[in-house]
Amino acid sequence: MKAHWSERREGGGRFALWLIRSIGLHLGRPAARALLYPITLYFYFRRGPERRASRAFLARAFARPARERDVLRHIHRYAGTILDRVFLLARGAHGFVIGVQGLEELETRIAHGRGAVLLGAHIGSFEALRVLAEIRPELRVRMLMDRGQTPALTELLHALNPAVADMVIDAGGDGTTAVLAIRDAAAQGALIGLLGDRARPGEPTQAARFFGEPAQFPVAPHLIAAALELPVVLAFGLYRGGNRYDVYFESFSTGAAIPRADRQARLAELLQRYAARLEYYTRLDPYNWFNFYAFWNV
Amino acid sequence: MSAQTPAEHELAELIVASLNLESTNAAAIAPEAPLFGGGLGLDSIDALELALAISKRYGFSLRSDNPDNKRIFSSLRELSAHVEKQRSTTCSGAR
Repeated sequence: MKAHWSERREGGGRFALWLIRSIGLHLGRPAARALLYPITLYFYFRRGPERRASRAFLARAFARPARERDVLRHIHRYAGTILDRVFLLARGAHGFVIGVQGLEELETRIAHGRGAVLLGAHIGSFEALRVLAEIRPELRVRMLMDRGQTPALTELLHALNPAVADMVIDAGGDGTTAVLAIRDAAAQGALIGLLGDRARPGEPTQAARFFGEPAQFPVAPHLIAAALELPVVLAFGLYRGGNRYDVYFESFSTGAAIPRADRQARLAELLQRYAARLEYYTRLDPYNWFNFYAFWNV
Repeated sequence: MSAQTPAEHELAELIVASLNLESTNAAAIAPEAPLFGGGLGLDSIDALELALAISKRYGFSLRSDNPDNKRIFSSLRELSAHVEKQRSTTCSGAR
């Protein structure tokens, strides 16, 4: 489990993804979901490190040893949310039941039209936040993503909905261009989607207590928000099985600048609060934890 | 190593002040040394803060879609040359 998560190659490959997409869009979601069982088994047997990471995480979350069926269920949930991205992108929230909590908190934060950071994590499905396009169509969302990390999936999702490509700010290129693009999008009042739980190789991190033990969290999302003086709203979309998602918004910070002299102390406070809220939402349904690597062991 | 021009010196002081590089003497920043990763060890967050400070001071924005960004931010000399070029075009109303 030594390899950095970014060094794990994408599972499945282009053909498998294309097949699932075609079956999904032509035969519907139930037929495609039936395929998730063999896919889950394949993943379970072929991806040892991910299987072990799942088992270790579930044992930690449930405070008991994880069984084989728990791990299978975990992988199945993960595969299910990836499949659902196909539908969410192709048809929006149609056919799903998506509960939304905390919309007022989000609306209060963005009332001045100066943009905000939507801070999420690799839990559940950030794609479920697309429900926003239906309830608040005037909001613009831009997502910072590394297109190079999952090239086959990115290609597929962009082909499904070309508008998504314009939504993405690529984190894979040089960092300066990405942060300037974030500045420009925020200046136009967009919501900037950032994920606060994984650092890319070489990115600065700081430790915070998470599920009882220190884990490293990237500092960049918090520093970007502070530099641009953007309010931060936590945003998580949990998959609850079947066709049900629950989207949560929660006000996190007001968008105050962080003076450099106070940086370490303020960052420690922000990261600890983020880690605590992430733990809270992850505990609502631990099968939504999609960091299949040794999260605590860096 | 060549000496800083007056424009480079002014920019070096802005870098030191806006990024709070207390232990760095602005006059000692080598114009051709790398700003990021190397000597000063700046990162992309610093680049963002620097870009904000530059637009505040000089009244123009460093563009996110400029394919030359990597080169522009590579050294004090390159950044200063870009700032001076933008300032002159902004002042003459060419943009």
